[in-house]
Amino acid sequence: MILKIKGLYKSFPQDNHKNIEVLKNLNLQVEEGETVAVVGQSGSGKSTLLSMLAGLDRQSSGSLRIRGQEISEMSEVKLTQFRAENIGIIFQQFYLMPHLTAIENVSLPLEMFGHKDSQQRSRDALLQVGLAERETHFPHQLSGGESQRVAIARAIVIRPSILLADEPTGNLDNATGIQVSNLLFDLVQTTGMTLLLVTHNIELAQRCSRQLQLNSGSFQ
Amino acid sequence: MKNPPAFFWFKLAFRKLLNNRRFSIFFIFNLALGLAGFIALDSFKVSLDNHLGQNSKAILGADVALTSYVPFEENTLNVLEEKLPQNTLSTRKITLFTMVAAKNISRLVQITGVEDEYPFYGKMILKKNGIVESENIEQSLKFSDEVWVYPELLFMLGLSVGESIKIGEKIFRIADTIIDDPSSSFSSFGLAPRIYLGYSQMLETGLLSKKSRVSYQRLYRLPEGADLPGLNVELKNKINDFEGSESKIRILTHNRAGNNLGRLLGYINDYLGLVAMIAVFLAGIGAAYLFRNYLVHSFREISILMSLGATRQQTYRMVLWQLGLLGTGSALIAIIISLGILPLLPILLKQFLPNGFETQLSPISLMFALVLGGVGSLVFCLPVLSRIRTVEPLHLFHENIEQKIVNSSFWKKQVLSYIPLLILSWSLSVWQSHSLIVGSVFVGMLLVSILFLGCIAWLVLAMAGNLSQISGSTMKRLAFRNLQRNRTGAISCFLALALGTLLINLIPQIYQGLQEEVSRPDDFRIPSLFLFDIQQEQMETLQKTLISEKVNLNYLSPMVRARLEKVNGKNFVYSDKVALTREQERQQSFRRRNLNLSYRTELSDSEHIVEGRMLATNYDWDSGKPAEVSLEVRYAERMGLKLGDFLTFNVQEVLVEAIVTNLRRVQWNSFQPNFFIIFQPGVLEDAPSTFLGSIGGLDASGKLKIQNRIVSDYPNVSVIDVSRMVERALKISDQMVLALRLMAYLSILAGLVVVFSIARHEVDGRLWELNMLKVLGAKFSDIQKMIQIEFAVLGIFAGLFGVVLSLIMSYGISWWFFENLWKWTWPTSLASIIGVTSLSVGVASLATSRTLRSSPLTLLRAS
Ligand SMILES: Nc1ncnc2c1ncn2[C@@H]1O[C@H](COP(=O)(O)OP(=O)(O)O)[C@@H](O)[C@H]1O
Ligand SMILES: [Mg+2]
Repeated sequence: MILKIKGLYKSFPQDNHKNIEVLKNLNLQVEEGETVAVVGQSGSGKSTLLSMLAGLDRQSSGSLRIRGQEISEMSEVKLTQFRAENIGIIFQQFYLMPHLTAIENVSLPLEMFGHKDSQQRSRDALLQVGLAERETHFPHQLSGGESQRVAIARAIVIRPSILLADEPTGNLDNATGIQVSNLLFDLVQTTGMTLLLVTHNIELAQRCSRQLQLNSGSFQ
Repeated sequence: MKNPPAFFWFKLAFRKLLNNRRFSIFFIFNLALGLAGFIALDSFKVSLDNHLGQNSKAILGADVALTSYVPFEENTLNVLEEKLPQNTLSTRKITLFTMVAAKNISRLVQITGVEDEYPFYGKMILKKNGIVESENIEQSLKFSDEVWVYPELLFMLGLSVGESIKIGEKIFRIADTIIDDPSSSFSSFGLAPRIYLGYSQMLETGLLSKKSRVSYQRLYRLPEGADLPGLNVELKNKINDFEGSESKIRILTHNRAGNNLGRLLGYINDYLGLVAMIAVFLAGIGAAYLFRNYLVHSFREISILMSLGATRQQTYRMVLWQLGLLGTGSALIAIIISLGILPLLPILLKQFLPNGFETQLSPISLMFALVLGGVGSLVFCLPVLSRIRTVEPLHLFHENIEQKIVNSSFWKKQVLSYIPLLILSWSLSVWQSHSLIVGSVFVGMLLVSILFLGCIAWLVLAMAGNLSQISGSTMKRLAFRNLQRNRTGAISCFLALALGTLLINLIPQIYQGLQEEVSRPDDFRIPSLFLFDIQQEQMETLQKTLISEKVNLNYLSPMVRARLEKVNGKNFVYSDKVALTREQERQQSFRRRNLNLSYRTELSDSEHIVEGRMLATNYDWDSGKPAEVSLEVRYAERMGLKLGDFLTFNVQEVLVEAIVTNLRRVQWNSFQPNFFIIFQPGVLEDAPSTFLGSIGGLDASGKLKIQNRIVSDYPNVSVIDVSRMVERALKISDQMVLALRLMAYLSILAGLVVVFSIARHEVDGRLWELNMLKVLGAKFSDIQKMIQIEFAVLGIFAGLFGVVLSLIMSYGISWWFFENLWKWTWPTSLASIIGVTSLSVGVASLATSRTLRSSPLTLLRAS
């Protein structure tokens, strides 16, 4: 089992000093290589869940284990390192560094830790997303679909054991969205990565091996 | 897991800056302008120090010298010279001031008698005969009684080379003029040009016995590697053992001679340095503003990096690299700019500079520039930098939720982040001014000004918000609204403009009063001539002579030379440690043991008692009480003396006890003879004394007539033309003010660059809404008008309050330092308000016109 969530709570303080509870007693178990879709209304807490899985935020209570390690018990430095080694993230808005070329964007997470073969590995990753010939292009020279493919390459280049995607096709038109999701599922299948996908696109959710509905703070 | 290669973060930072070229260029140029003046000044200062260091031996003409006001006794000299190392060379020199006359004109000159081997260091250069060989300098002079003179003397007296001149009782032939005298100094302000003659002829002039103030010097050239400081101490100890006039022998080492020369220039440089600091400060405000916006735009990228596994520390490091690169870039550009400014400084300060002085950009200044560029940009941007703390990669998941983690610790840290800035400014200004007090007062005033102006800006902007509700046209309303909305930008602009205005007004405003006071031509309070060295027995006849010429000798004061032995029973010590600050330096130059005393009861109209009571009229020797003395208040402060202190003076080997009975403030700009120490009558009358006095109300021909009469009848009396002296002083201070003004203009330029970059930035940030206005039907001219109103409002208020603050400060400074010589010239104030306003509007229009002209089509393209 790669991911195990038990009794997870998350609340945010509000201006009127009352907390709003976004996640309430959430439980989830994901096996290695599974693809899981999380669907739910806007504001239901999907991104909140992902940000905690990515180690970018901490839960209010409950347990959150990835590969058997309790995320909430890790120090900030440890967590950063854990994320850099195990977790790939894909955002709705792509978030490429505007002043770096495609290949530089992809190699960023490797170079940051001084991997020797970062060039070769990033080139491979770009090849995998079908953008080998766009290596030296800057983000503003790429279309939305291409940008997201570069972002996917950047997420997989570290060979993460778990891939988190927050509405990866949300900013793309239908046709491009389908292209990108095809690519994503192909990659997941060939590498055997675990995928946790947040979307409100039902078709996209259907392609996952399991679908979960997030409703008033927990899965139904 | 490994660490990234060392240059990884550097590379990332560099790429980012290249990508944000416009920001980088603005930041660099902005800061460079501020740094340039500072660097130029520093180079100038270093060059000067080097020059003086290298030339201090030439200035003294020796390694070390002994000076005395009486001829050296053979025995005394033997005792002292025993201490000198073997193979020390020596030569003699005598200097005195006297009047010389030729063709109905007479002038005060400095006569210098030298013998062979003078000078040991440096070369004297003559116009006709070139370099003087010091081995036989006296020989060449003695040969047919020749003298060499400074060229200006020929001009003053209407003489030319080859003609003769009478010095004392002897007639000499002017053989040559001196074009380079390594020992020349500006201390006499060129009032007494020099004449060189042979040592033995000096004795034949007959002046030595008549003059009260003759300086006898022995110059020594020590063998290579001699221990000068050690020798200095040994000689000093020996001299302390002497009694009588022997104990008044002074030791002059070459370092000290160089220091004296550098002191005046040092003062000027100090103040220039402080003004240049304001330019740095203004540039810093601009840089911080630019950086703030840049950083806020970088927050997303920082988040991305963190989500990819970068730690917060690492992202800090990247931003620090960026700042370092920007700072270094600024420093490099600043160095280039300062190469342009540097040659100007020697031209501006020509009057003060020693011959052969050249400015060079020293490696030390370059290092300093780089460090200041890096550290400075870091320190200025630290308060902004600390905002990285608030970056949360979490936001990448929720674009639209703004997270605020503003708690008390945030504010605490925010306040703390300003502390390095305070420390840097404070240490820079203390270092620049060489004075703890001046430096601290300067930073304090700067801080108070910024706080004051900041509050005003805040109020003005709040007011603008209210105005927007009642004012008529749409554009006006929008302009006022914008001012209220973009507070940081508006306040930064306001501060930059107001501080610049403050500075360019402050210096002329202070100077105005001084100049007015001093140059009033019909003011009879300023005397025409100063007479000194009058012997007691000449008094009566001199006064008769003057009465026959229908003039009065005023403020006649006796002058008695004495030495301060004890203060409250303890030996008076004067230290000669190396002075670190200007205060110490000044204190040391005041803490002399050899003093000039005078005596009288009445106060002159240019002085008043600040503490204590009037001196009693006549001293009663039988009372056994100490005599009463009055001290000038600032002199007392520097000497560390208070009301009621007991002083023991040695007046020609007679010990005189005195008690400080009052402290007096003297208005020195009255140019009347005045003394730091005044005794009550009845004490010093029997001591050998000379007199000085002044003559007022003479026109040019009257002055000439009196001067000539005195020179022919009383050759030992020296006469100084006061109006000429005042003229010289004014000319010199004109130059100083010009140099200060130049620096002030540099700082207003830095302020305008701030306005330029802020205006451009604000408009770029508002592009979307400006284009929206265009789509809704606003014309280019309407939008331009809106921007112009914004910056006109900022300009008017910044100018107004800058001027107001400059008036307050100049009043304070004039009141404190110059006895309330203050005069408001409202046209200048008005002109600078109008000037600043139009510059502000002009620069803002220039900065924004391209963006404003852009087609609203961009609205569709940019998403
Ligand atoms: N940092 C935060 N502070 C306060 N409320 C937050 C914060 N992050 C998320 N929320 C709230 O939590 C709820 C869930 O948000 P989110 O996870 O973004 O929903 P989804 O991704 O499912 O649309 C929303 O109501 C949102 O307002
Ligand atoms: Mg979401």
